[in-house]
Amino acid sequence: MWTRTINGRELHFYVAGINNQNFLMRDKETGTWWQQITGKAIYGPLRGAALELVLSDELTFGEWRSESPAGQVLAPVAKYTKEYDSNWEPDVAKLPVVISFPGTELKSRDVVVGLTINGTARAYPWETFAKQSPILDRVSGTPLLLVLGPDGKSFRVFLSRIDGRETEFFLQDDSKSDTPAGKKDWSLLDTTTASQWNFQGCATSGPAQGKCLARIPALKDYWFDWRNYHPDTTVYRR
Amino acid sequence: MTLTLTMNTSLPSTPQRQQRTSRWISTAFSLCALTAIALFFIPAFIIRPFHYQAPRALLIAMALRQRAPLGTLIAALACFAFALALWETAGRWRRSILVLTLLVVTFSAVMARLNYFEWMFHPIAGPQFLAQSDSKLDAKEMIMAVRLGTDARAYPISQMAYHHVLNDVVGGVPIAVTY
Repeated sequence: MWTRTINGRELHFYVAGINNQNFLMRDKETGTWWQQITGKAIYGPLRGAALELVLSDELTFGEWRSESPAGQVLAPVAKYTKEYDSNWEPDVAKLPVVISFPGTELKSRDVVVGLTINGTARAYPWETFAKQSPILDRVSGTPLLLVLGPDGKSFRVFLSRIDGRETEFFLQDDSKSDTPAGKKDWSLLDTTTASQWNFQGCATSGPAQGKCLARIPALKDYWFDWRNYHPDTTVYRR
Repeated sequence: MTLTLTMNTSLPSTPQRQQRTSRWISTAFSLCALTAIALFFIPAFIIRPFHYQAPRALLIAMALRQRAPLGTLIAALACFAFALALWETAGRWRRSILVLTLLVVTFSAVMARLNYFEWMFHPIAGPQFLAQSDSKLDAKEMIMAVRLGTDARAYPISQMAYHHVLNDVVGGVPIAVTY
């Protein structure tokens, strides 16, 4: 997600084409072409401009609902409801790709969580992530915490520091239980203050109670798309 | 027609001269037609789904598409003028070629003004929102979520994967939700 104000001017975007299976948008105001994944203006009057990233999440509706009691949901547009595909991810996974990176360690349609710290990109294969969560890693000297939510589908990435002090986190034992009751008690523990943390990255009890970890933007994407826009990306290995 | 008449009245008309003029107009007509058709079809061909877009080809496609609305209009108008000039002397065979070409040229000029990508991925004109308690979404469905200020909004991925782009304002901030 992007802000859509450039030099104080509000822009309105529309789908204008496709570039190797990543969307091209144009804005109604100037006709400039923008690449969806990078937020960059690649052709037209605003070429070179970049939209500012808005921190967003990919969550299950259930997880988001429990976190956002006053939240609002985009209503389906009545005349298109038949076109909506709630099985979108597996369906798209079957579609052909037009670019591939043979010799790289992942397959084109492998899902990764990608992030960039100070220009250094790293991809976390979803399969590894799902097995290993929480992942503690360091990119460009920055300690990171990648964590899968209690539903096993939502994910978030945090800066692994409490008050500027690097910390390790682990999943509390009863969180691993697959029973609904176990999931309700889902929490992380940190090794510095031994506080309990929820999936929003906030300490719910212990000495750090009330503190929240800083968020790191991350994108769930297909390997071919991530690799295409981040040619120097490394891939996380356990 | 105007063009032919001018030629006929102002110049001493000989069959050779007439033939030469007609050849000149035919060439001009072909060039106009090619321009109009290229301005629409080249970008449409390059930016087609499920095909590889080379960086250089994509730049050409965007440059042509950017100029296509005005370019096809000018080329089409010129085509019609030249076709009129050629019409009187043209036989049945040449006339049908003229008409066919004009049809393709008109099609190009119309298509250069239409965003056919929005025929596949319909935009959301006036987005409506539901209180989360009123949503019929399944708890397991994936959504994209944003929180700005005190406003939290969720965009179901099943819907965004269809519409792809939504211009929204959350917490007073204009944002583009993309998927």
